[in-house]
Amino acid sequence: MILSAFLLALPQEDAANPAAPRGRAEVWRLDRVETLDGDALENVTLIVREGAIEQIGQALIVPDGARVRDLRDSGMVASPPLVLTHANFLIQDQRGSGNASRWRAVDSLWLAEGWEKDLLREGVLLAGVDPPGSGLPGRTSVIEAGGGWPRPQALVNDLHLKLTMSASPAAKEVVRRALKEADEAIEKEKKAREEWEKARADWVNQQKEKEKEKAEKEQAEKQQSGEKKEGQGGKSARAQDEEEKPPPETFEPPAFPPDLQAVVEWVRQERLAQVWISSAADFVHWQDVLDERELPYELVLRHALSQNFHEIAEQLAQAKVRLDVPAIITFLPFTRIRANLPAELARAGVERLVLSPAGDSLRELRDFRGAVTRVVSEGLDRKRAFEAITLEPARALGQEGRIQALKAGAPANFVVWSGDPLDPMSRAMLVVKDGKVVYDREKEEEEEARR
Amino acid sequence: MSLLLHLIALAGAAAPLQDPPPAPEAEKQAEADKPAEAPKEEPKPAPAAESPWLAVVGGDVYTVTGGVVRGGTVLCKDERIVAVGSQVRVPEGARVVDARGMRVYPGLVAVNSSGLVRGSGAGARDGFDPFSLNLDLALTGGLTTVQGGDTIVKLTRGTLDGHLVGTGPWVDLNVSPTTSSGRRELAARFAKAREHLRARRDWRIATELGKAEGEEPKPEGVDEEALALLEGRSTARFQADGQKDLLAICDFLEEFPLQSVIFGGREAWTVAGRLGRTGTRFVLTARDKFWADDTLNRASGWSIENARILWEHGVEFAILPEQAGVSTGGIIGRDLMTLPLEAAFAIRGGLSQDAALRAITLDAAKVLGIEDKLGSLEPGKDADLIVCDGDLFHYRTFVQWTVVNGRIAYDKQKAPYFAHIRPRPEASAEEVLEAIRKAAQEQAGEPSEPAVEPAADDPEKQADGR
Repeated sequence: MILSAFLLALPQEDAANPAAPRGRAEVWRLDRVETLDGDALENVTLIVREGAIEQIGQALIVPDGARVRDLRDSGMVASPPLVLTHANFLIQDQRGSGNASRWRAVDSLWLAEGWEKDLLREGVLLAGVDPPGSGLPGRTSVIEAGGGWPRPQALVNDLHLKLTMSASPAAKEVVRRALKEADEAIEKEKKAREEWEKARADWVNQQKEKEKEKAEKEQAEKQQSGEKKEGQGGKSARAQDEEEKPPPETFEPPAFPPDLQAVVEWVRQERLAQVWISSAADFVHWQDVLDERELPYELVLRHALSQNFHEIAEQLAQAKVRLDVPAIITFLPFTRIRANLPAELARAGVERLVLSPAGDSLRELRDFRGAVTRVVSEGLDRKRAFEAITLEPARALGQEGRIQALKAGAPANFVVWSGDPLDPMSRAMLVVKDGKVVYDREKEEEEEARR
Repeated sequence: MSLLLHLIALAGAAAPLQDPPPAPEAEKQAEADKPAEAPKEEPKPAPAAESPWLAVVGGDVYTVTGGVVRGGTVLCKDERIVAVGSQVRVPEGARVVDARGMRVYPGLVAVNSSGLVRGSGAGARDGFDPFSLNLDLALTGGLTTVQGGDTIVKLTRGTLDGHLVGTGPWVDLNVSPTTSSGRRELAARFAKAREHLRARRDWRIATELGKAEGEEPKPEGVDEEALALLEGRSTARFQADGQKDLLAICDFLEEFPLQSVIFGGREAWTVAGRLGRTGTRFVLTARDKFWADDTLNRASGWSIENARILWEHGVEFAILPEQAGVSTGGIIGRDLMTLPLEAAFAIRGGLSQDAALRAITLDAAKVLGIEDKLGSLEPGKDADLIVCDGDLFHYRTFVQWTVVNGRIAYDKQKAPYFAHIRPRPEASAEEVLEAIRKAAQEQAGEPSEPAVEPAADDPEKQADGR
């Protein structure tokens, strides 16, 4: 009793005294930090200890023995790292268009040496990858840069169920069939469980009855002692007990086929579907496939330079799901009328907005911040845009714990840019992961010069 | 309260301003954006767009089957027309299309279109793009129902609901005048089917009279298509332009009377009387040229009067442009975007306006076998209609609104295509004030017109009573 009280008290004491020295502190002094937690801070001291931000603010006292990195008067700006939801230039594979949901994106990763640099150079720390192909090609994964080669540090191997939808009978049929099969499999499992429950209950009842019989017999024995019959009867009952195998104590569900497992989890609301659509019509057909069924999903909008999602902006907002949208200024179909889809969706009331590069290639990633800047200059709220390339995609990948607004208690994951992060001219100079510098542009350039 | 709202709604209807009023969703949004402290002066009425009622008021209504109603109202509920007339009460909150000074026609029907139906049967629904350019352009041309391949669809913009109308309109038959063996073979097929039908009929009569011997005759070796045609369960389609071919079809139809339709018919005017007696229908292209053969000792070639002559001999027909698609290519004025102009060419050849209108509405629906559902403005039919700013067959006329299944699928001033060409005139201040005054009078219990309707609350009842 006393011991347990002591154990409980320990962490409390620890939390009450955060200043307790636990490892060496690192102090960053910066001109400006885009914290994404309220307004940006100027003239900032950032104290990092054991991979987490201990304190952030102006005029903080530098702890004793801390290592100080003074980046003031350089125009550098720190911000949370960018998160890329679809780093599919890291994927190389060919797949068809049916239900192949047994596959995971990590199974198709194809990493060259230095793959991380491609991400880190753009200030990207976390990246989602998707299984290639259409229909139900598999499940998405999340990888983190700064973890090493040849294998990446995969944070999550098995995340969302990818699904592509289009205005075609074949595309709809793949999903409808998968849903039907999953429903049947669930029904089958339910039946098996009911059978087991019945068998178990019967068996338990039998046991009880037998014991009752036994007890009655024993009583009868006591009453009519001296007779020989009952000896035989007892023996046969015991033999019967041995013959009858009791049903297992816990229910063992029948295994689902490998391509149905993830679909079943989706139907049971245990997994999110990531639905890829490329036009307004696709969304209408997606709603048709859902047919009023409540299934968890998020939408990935992937369209060409001309798109017609404005037709359904309000419906998309009403769907109350996360939207992953390319950060490009588009044209209304068959016109030169410019459209800023992300801004339009934000206006329509879409709450969870993720901005992505216009395509899956590395080239698009390199143009990404410039593209975001254009979307902002043509109407999307700047803070909204910033969140849509950092915090919201982190949430989309289930990594809201890893990538947070820069405040005390958050993990020390941030990027130091040479200037305003949303200025395409500025570059990622340093990427800090759990308090450690995992990318240093100056060092890299020096090394390259030496070569 | 509701009095004032009604008044505002009426004023809004009377004054189509250049800037369209904000969509109700946007209004709601604006409402939500307002600071919560701001006391709301009045509770909002139910957003107008959610009303199941749609009233097209004040236009000259060309019903096709019931003449023209001057300054009439077409009242629709959900996807059906419930009332057409000059004294129809519009329910409160109804969506109102102000058609004053305009003409209201049934939605146009195109047979054998291309580029608008994607896939076949249920697949056409699953492959339908409810926002495609072709669809929009077809709606600007006033089309509401099209057939392509074996599938008939409605141009339901923005939704898959109600898209599919039907499948399998007809069976193709080939009666060639040059290969007698083919004709003999076809006739033999139908003769066998007819024999079977007769044997079955006799057996049934005998059974009823209690004199039947043996079992019901089985359709062994009998062509199922031929049976369906002879029993009137499906329609035969022929392809023929020349007189010889048309006469061969007449021969066949005289021997085996069937429901039928002939595509082409360029020389049909030369044998219109005989064609009329077979009861066949046509799908014509009024401007389809076909030069006369001066070596023949008979009338030949095409005629601008083809449609008129056929009409006078009791032949019903649908009119189709040379290119039955919707596209931004090709010859302008010869595709489905300008279907009425194709019919106008038949008018030039002497066809009456009424007949031309039928050829692109009700009679086209007859060719497709869906005339019980659409093709005219009558209570009970589908709420498919168009509002035009002039005579449908005038080159200057634009479709201002297209309504499909009771939903406004096209509004010229809102869609990007023709809004800038002769924009819809705005109402003057006097007109708006007059409308408000009139509405106030009505609300105060002084009907400005003679007693309109019995005080029935349910306009559907009124529609039934008509």
